[in-house]
Amino acid sequence: MHDPSKKMPGETAFAVVLVGLSGFLLWQAILISGFEALSSPGAFPMAAAFAMLVTSVAILIKTLRLRERMALRFFTDVAPPVILAMFAMMLGYALLLKPLGFLPTSLLFLTVSIFALRRRGLLWSFGVSLASLALVYVIFRLVFTVLMPSGVVPEGEILAWLGNLFSGGDTQ
Amino acid sequence: MTEALQFFLISWLDLKLLGLVALGTFAGIYVGAIPGLSVTMAVSILISFTFAWDVYPALCLMVGIYMGGVYGGSRTAILLNIPGAPSAIATALDGYPLAQKGQAGEAIGLSTVMSFVGGFIGIGVLAVAAPFVSEFALTFQPRDYMLLAILGILLVGSLSGESLLKGVFAGALGLLIGAVGLDPLTAEERFTFGMVELWGGISFIAVMIGLFGVSEALTQLHHIDKAAVKQTIGRIVPSWRAVGKYLPLSLQTSSIGVIIGALPGTGGDIAALMAYDHAKRVTKKPEVPFGEGAAEGLVAPETANNAAVGGAFIPMLTLGIPGDAVTAIIIGAMFIHGLNPGPMLMIEQPQMFWFITGALVLANIFMLIFGLTGIRLFTKIVEMPRAVLIPLILLLSIVGAYAVNNSITDVYWMLLFGAFGYLLKTYGYQVGPVILGVILSRLIDENWRRAIISEQEDLGRLFMGIFTSPLSLVLFGAVVFIFISQTPLWTGLRARFGTARARGDGV
Repeated sequence: MHDPSKKMPGETAFAVVLVGLSGFLLWQAILISGFEALSSPGAFPMAAAFAMLVTSVAILIKTLRLRERMALRFFTDVAPPVILAMFAMMLGYALLLKPLGFLPTSLLFLTVSIFALRRRGLLWSFGVSLASLALVYVIFRLVFTVLMPSGVVPEGEILAWLGNLFSGGDTQ
Repeated sequence: MTEALQFFLISWLDLKLLGLVALGTFAGIYVGAIPGLSVTMAVSILISFTFAWDVYPALCLMVGIYMGGVYGGSRTAILLNIPGAPSAIATALDGYPLAQKGQAGEAIGLSTVMSFVGGFIGIGVLAVAAPFVSEFALTFQPRDYMLLAILGILLVGSLSGESLLKGVFAGALGLLIGAVGLDPLTAEERFTFGMVELWGGISFIAVMIGLFGVSEALTQLHHIDKAAVKQTIGRIVPSWRAVGKYLPLSLQTSSIGVIIGALPGTGGDIAALMAYDHAKRVTKKPEVPFGEGAAEGLVAPETANNAAVGGAFIPMLTLGIPGDAVTAIIIGAMFIHGLNPGPMLMIEQPQMFWFITGALVLANIFMLIFGLTGIRLFTKIVEMPRAVLIPLILLLSIVGAYAVNNSITDVYWMLLFGAFGYLLKTYGYQVGPVILGVILSRLIDENWRRAIISEQEDLGRLFMGIFTSPLSLVLFGAVVFIFISQTPLWTGLRARFGTARARGDGV
């Protein structure tokens, strides 16, 4: 997608941000232990931040020199609504994960995003989401034993009840 | 020797470990084969789920995914002209024309068998060479480690992207991310901004999943409406005659693969391209011209990229220096499991080395089995709509980032690096050097300080040491060469040399 001979929308701004970031990090690196010794804790971060600053300034100069622009627009080609929306959905997922729990949040996330991306009916999206979530749950929660926040669903009790059901059948 | 064999066979005899190698290889092949999903993405997301495990099962899964993933990339290269992994770029050159002629089945079969041959040769060299390399590595000075690590980052930065400047920026950024937290030697705070949460540093998993999982998935959203391509594939098991015919070539390209794979900073992608070039030069009369479906053009890169897997494990296990982004992730995972890849690993825990070698051989065998079967299931998975696939990947990314420390902060870091990685990629920066930088940050920092303290803080003496040791001098020369090779002076010189040689040829 990127063509080094042409400028993309937002490329100059991004290069400026990287120069700013590098400058800030270099300043922070100097604050660690100053220039006291070559083996000080701040020496290596200073060298790395300095390399970042030098390269980012060189990249900015190169970008500024580019005359030709790509026939693209920032909010349609670089960060189109679909990407911004998906990112916002992920943020929402992270916010809801703890209070609501893994199962309801994931089901909501999958249903809404699949529905929005595929536009094939809410019921279809819900069905596909439910099936995929069941698979994810079995593989990661039960086989890989990954612990996820249970939130409003009494997951532990349900699993224990299911476990009892089977072990109960064995012992009786 | 019998002890080595015992450790070698652990994963073969334990049913659970055997199953995990099989599962990893299977997952690697299929994830690698889905266009847009790379091996790096598969390894980074799946590895995050294994941190609670014991080290043996976790290693089995990782080894399987790596081996399967490198091979899986060839499938989409052949069928859709979209390399599933960078190491399959050369495979598409002749693989896709073969598929267009309706010989996709033969092409897949041949590439599977040849990947198997290449994989075996790579592992063989690993088993023989690694003990010697690690013995040699014991003589390395701290400065040599530092130079070797810098060389690795520079090689990845200069070879994989559009400019060395952007590669160096990405590598330096990674080094800085790796430095966040309490300094391991003096416990001084670095880039913590007074926050206790940052004392332990930024989670490596969060950075990795952000850069390789989320940013790739976001990039794929650009192609959400592209319909999956349907393919019909016939017989895929190749004939003995075909395999025998290309065996001599495959042996040559395997050696290229192992050597390139073993160099720090160069992996399967470069090995495959060099092997393709070699095949082009040595095949005087191909049945079909190169680029139009020559079998030699398929055999060469496929043997080389799988041979490079064994090769890449040599610097990884003996020096602790990764060859590419995938090995960087595996090294990071090994750290978390309490292993310390480097020359001491071979001395203190030789069982680990033989165990990994055994698992690699096993993964190679599973790759052959899964590669030659299950073609129906394969076409189904490849045709899975992206509208379902991408939300699932994003979900797994969040679960993976959360699962390692049960921390929601890690999820926010992952999202931040996901968005940042997406922008980096969009504007032509490579993300591979970032992860290499994160992994190598501590190694470079510690060895730099050891080197300079042992020279009594005197830069002059450090350089004196470099110029009087042949090994240091070679490494230093290589680092300098990479910089010079990117300057206008070098391009000018090369152009002049090139025209002079062309004129000489003409005479």
